[in-house]
Amino acid sequence: MNLAVDARSLVKQFGSVRALDNLSFTVKPGEIYGLIGPNGAGKTTTLRTICTLILPSSGKLDVFGLDVVSQAAEVRKILSYLPEESGAYPNLTGYEYLEFMAKFNQKEGYDIKSMVNEAVELSGLGDRLRDKAKTYSKGMKRRLLIARALMTHPKLAVLDEPASGLDVLHAYRIREIIKQYVKKYNITVILSSHNMLEVEYLCNRVSLVNEGKIVIEGEPKELRAKYDSENLEEVFAKVVGYA
Amino acid sequence: MLKGFTTILLKELKELVRDPKILVPMIILPLIIFPVLSLVMGYAVNSAEEQMQKSNLLILNNDNGEWDQTFIDYLNQIMNIQVLNNISPQQVIDQNLLANYNSTQFMEIPAGFSQNMTRHLNGESNITTSINIYGVFQGGGIFSDLGSSGLVVYVNAFNRAIAPDIVLTTQSTIINDQVQEGVDPSTLSVLMMSQSLALPLTVMIMIIYSMQIAATSVAMEKEEKTLETLLTSPVDRFAILMGKVSSTVIVAGIAAVTSLIGYSFMMKSVTMGIPIAGDIDLVTLGLVPSTFGYIMLGISLFVTLLSALALAVVMSTFSENVRSAQALVGYIYPLIFIPSMALMYLDINSLPMAIKTVLYAIPFTHPIIASKAVIMGNYSIVAFGIIYVAIFTVIIMYFASKLFSTEKILTAKLMFKRGPKKKQKD
Ligand SMILES: Nc1ncnc2c1ncn2[C@@H]1O[C@H](COP(=O)(O)OP(=O)(O)O)[C@@H](O)[C@H]1O
Ligand SMILES: [Mg+2]
Repeated sequence: MNLAVDARSLVKQFGSVRALDNLSFTVKPGEIYGLIGPNGAGKTTTLRTICTLILPSSGKLDVFGLDVVSQAAEVRKILSYLPEESGAYPNLTGYEYLEFMAKFNQKEGYDIKSMVNEAVELSGLGDRLRDKAKTYSKGMKRRLLIARALMTHPKLAVLDEPASGLDVLHAYRIREIIKQYVKKYNITVILSSHNMLEVEYLCNRVSLVNEGKIVIEGEPKELRAKYDSENLEEVFAKVVGYA
Repeated sequence: MLKGFTTILLKELKELVRDPKILVPMIILPLIIFPVLSLVMGYAVNSAEEQMQKSNLLILNNDNGEWDQTFIDYLNQIMNIQVLNNISPQQVIDQNLLANYNSTQFMEIPAGFSQNMTRHLNGESNITTSINIYGVFQGGGIFSDLGSSGLVVYVNAFNRAIAPDIVLTTQSTIINDQVQEGVDPSTLSVLMMSQSLALPLTVMIMIIYSMQIAATSVAMEKEEKTLETLLTSPVDRFAILMGKVSSTVIVAGIAAVTSLIGYSFMMKSVTMGIPIAGDIDLVTLGLVPSTFGYIMLGISLFVTLLSALALAVVMSTFSENVRSAQALVGYIYPLIFIPSMALMYLDINSLPMAIKTVLYAIPFTHPIIASKAVIMGNYSIVAFGIIYVAIFTVIIMYFASKLFSTEKILTAKLMFKRGPKKKQKD
């Protein structure tokens, strides 16, 4: 019950593709936990399973003690998900989008208005929120969506490649937002990335995923020391045997 | 020669040919549609002609001179005729003689025919005589009205053999067992054209547009991943589906109402030009639908649009992006085109049982059948259609709600056979 995410022997089979192959890990409350690995490693599949979008073929996954299969509706109340490469509704303004999403997540003592105001602040988009989302750049869209994901103060935020495809400055900004906001509201985060440097900067703990399995897990510092490497990229290369 | 042109051309062709989304609608579909349509039209023309040859021409002879016999003998050489003596047109109808003789038209040789002929031939050139032609208004397809104008040709041919312009013709139409003196069936053909062309075309366009809109809206949610966000939010999944469908239902409802308003305006303006005697109204004559008929037609249109929308929603959940969703619903188009076009030319009741069953099974046929049936006052067939399409829609919606409640909404994909393509782009 005191774990934010508890995954035990997760298997997900898509036809003949085994996307998750006996994957186990835990995330503690208040942590920023990173899944890193190459494209096709199974990161998105893991996050989608946490978010009740897909069912594990076998194994068990709990989010704050709630089973993602049998208590899916309960799980959805405490998490928020940022899909990779996602967008907003092109013909709604950013502001309308935030309002729309806030309506599903009303909580006692935290009404739609303050939720949206907080997201406005978080996104830093200012007056551009009055424009339709189809006029936004990729970076603006991502900021809008991060703000949307965090404004609800979820117990668990699931962020799939939050800064991928963004230029250095935008990516930096988004990382800052995540880091500060999470501390402020004690939000647990699990995120994925194939950018090892990003993960190293953001996460308390990381696991390296490859071909549906977790290869190693630990604090970035600890892993670097263990493999005598400059950074996580090097660690990863050593572990999967490229170096 | 442009450098690199052929290389690019070949690559483009290769890509186009390998893309089933282009191949099917652009090349295969026309290959099927046009032969099917030509079969339909050939069948329609043939059956109209056959009908005419098969049927006997009834002649009501109310003249007792010598020229009436000459005229009858003349016609006898060209077609099958049946002569009835001393009987009025209304009596023919009242005694149901047309059905007995398997005929949809007749000629009357009025009293005084021979006398006037003789006077004309004796030099009183201002005296003419006339043959009265009566045709039954049927309201079938475009070609079902070929008959009566043909008879004028025979009378003119007779004139050429005797003396120019000696016998004139008058045209009258029998609508719902009532003789409308002086109403030329050809003035009614405008009405028939409107009925048989305008509504099917409108239905076709409306269904296609609304399917595109619905498919785009679902596929957009998938493409932009907003659907995933919704599915992980604390919101009832059935509510997501119903919200989508209901918004399109509202659009469909408005579309059904506006197109009916347009249709009834058109019917009014077309029928305004028809000189129907005084106090008889067009609804009783069976030329336009009654208010109840319009309502039934509206409901039929509405449920059909609904079925199309539901189908589009389901189909687009199988595609990852807007483009492929639109291509996917494109596979439904033949089912919309073929019945609409076939029923422009044909009366569904004149078709063989097998074809009839197939047409009835396609939901998109029903508003077109209804448009004809409400004019004829045949409401039970309209009601049957509405119920059938409604059940069809419920089944589709049930299937859609099943899809939405599982991970299939994200992972279901129609695989086109293009070799093993296991790696999904991430
Ligand atoms: N809906 C799906 N259908 C079939 N295979 C899938 C599906 N989703 C993911 N996969 C496969 O599962 C594996 C893991 O994918 P994914 O979790 O998206 O990787 P990552 O996010 O780490 O790049 C890949 O081989 C991918 O092709
Ligand atoms: Mg991924």
